[in-house]
Order: sequence, then structure tokens, then C-alpha cells
Amino acid sequence: MSDLQKGFYPHGDNAFVANFSESEREVLTNLSEQIIELLAERIDHQSDDPLAALVGITSHDTPPEDEVLLRLLPNAYADQVDASEFRRYTESTLRQKKQGHAMAMRSNLISAIDGVVEIDRDGANDWLGAINDVRLALGVRLNVEENSPEELQLLAPDDPMHGVYTVYGWLGWLQESLLEAVMNGSQ
Amino acid sequence: MVKVNEKVEEELQAIFSGDVPWITIVWDDPVNLMTYVTYVLMELFGFSKEKATELMMKIHTEGKAVVSTGSREEMERDVARIHEFGLWATLQRGDQQ
Repeated sequence: MSDLQKGFYPHGDNAFVANFSESEREVLTNLSEQIIELLAERIDHQSDDPLAALVGITSHDTPPEDEVLLRLLPNAYADQVDASEFRRYTESTLRQKKQGHAMAMRSNLISAIDGVVEIDRDGANDWLGAINDVRLALGVRLNVEENSPEELQLLAPDDPMHGVYTVYGWLGWLQESLLEAVMNGSQ
Repeated sequence: MVKVNEKVEEELQAIFSGDVPWITIVWDDPVNLMTYVTYVLMELFGFSKEKATELMMKIHTEGKAVVSTGSREEMERDVARIHEFGLWATLQRGDQQ
């Protein structure tokens, strides 16, 4: 079995390794940048009050209109008033944490030599969170809720969504390999 | 004379002491891998693999599960940590389930 088919595997006591092809590395780097940028779009409308911005309070008290952003930054309460209040005080921190995961993944990919990425346990959590955010974003675009995997598999090869679904499936496989490596390594 | 049973007494007590327990609910999401949901619950709450798997199955089959109980502040922290890892969670008063 080649490394390509392995995804992530445990390496020593506290390390996880994966070997990416050039095109895999490009796709993943690009997707991590998309997530960082998407979250930054939301930051652009940050509070004008520097003190409020400093302590993490933003002007955002309404949920994002964009479906993908809403999936990444969901409401914490069913009640709209409570949800708005919570969002005002916590959303910027959540965005920063999510950007942090994506930035860590991007930085590991960019500094990889010969496509080999080696991460520790904290790095694994960054990757798991970042891959999941990308999958959530692609899942919204693919309408995974309504379209079962069987339907998505039937997409014509020339349908752009067919390619998106292939990436989505590959990310799930990669995430699963890292989960297996981390969970078996920690027991 | 108004008669109150133990349950009502507890309820009245809770109203004034502010210690009605709150709960954190994790909702099913068709995108998140079952293994990932299990892992996040183990990692964030220190659950055993068995306990986390049981909760994950409940989320998967019933659409949601209560993963933690405590004060409102504690539940807000839990929800924020869960959101960081891309699972959808909400909090609410435990008596409004």
C-alpha cells in the first residue's frame, strides 16, 4: 500500500504523517485559503469601536446571510434575542479559532518537503477542525442534506459538482484516516 | 392554603437561586463523519470511547442529544468549544426540553 492510499498514519509517540501529491497539496492549500478568506469577509464589517473590537465584541448580532458562513458560525440559541447577544460576544473569537485551524493546515502544507506533512496532536486537532470546516462548506454547496450520497454519485462526470463531490469524498477519507491515527494512537 | 409538593418547591427554590440547570444539545449534521463526532465528544468532554459513541449514535438516530448539563455560563462555554470544531450545538434551560 502506498502512502497515498494511507492518508495519515501514526509516526512515533506523538506524530502523524501524510504524504500528499502535488495536486492534493494544491487543492488543500487552496481550500484552506478559501476558508480563511470567507471568514475574513465577515470580519470586514467589524465594529468601529476599537475598544469593543479589542475585547472581541463585534457589531455582528445577526446570523450570516451566506449559507456556508451560517453553517460555520451557527446560532447558539433557538431564541433569536439570546442568539444575537451570544453572537455579539463570541463570534469574533470563533472566527479567529477557525481561521487559526485553517492557517495551521495551510502553513503545514506550504512548508511540506516532498509533500510530506508531519503534525503533532495539537496539529491534528487543527487539521481535523479545518478539514471539517471545508467539508461543511462543500456540503452546503452540494446540498448534502437533500441529496443523498447515492444521488451525488450519479452526477455526470462533466458536471462541475461531480468534481466538488470527489474532493468532498476525498476530504472525508483523509479526515477518517487522521481520526483513526489519533484515536488508536491515544489508547 | 397553597400546597406545594417537593417538585414545585425545588422549582421555586431554583427560580430564586438561579440554579436551574442548563443543557447543551448537539444536533445531527449529515456532513460530519460519525467517527469525527465521537472524537470531538471524547476530546472536549473527556468521555470514554463507549460513552461518546453512544451519544453520537443518539445524535445520529434521534437527531440530537444532550451532551452536558450545568450553569448557563458553563453551557455557553461548551457550545463555543463545540462550534469551534464544526458540530452544531445549542443551549437552553433544562426544563424547557
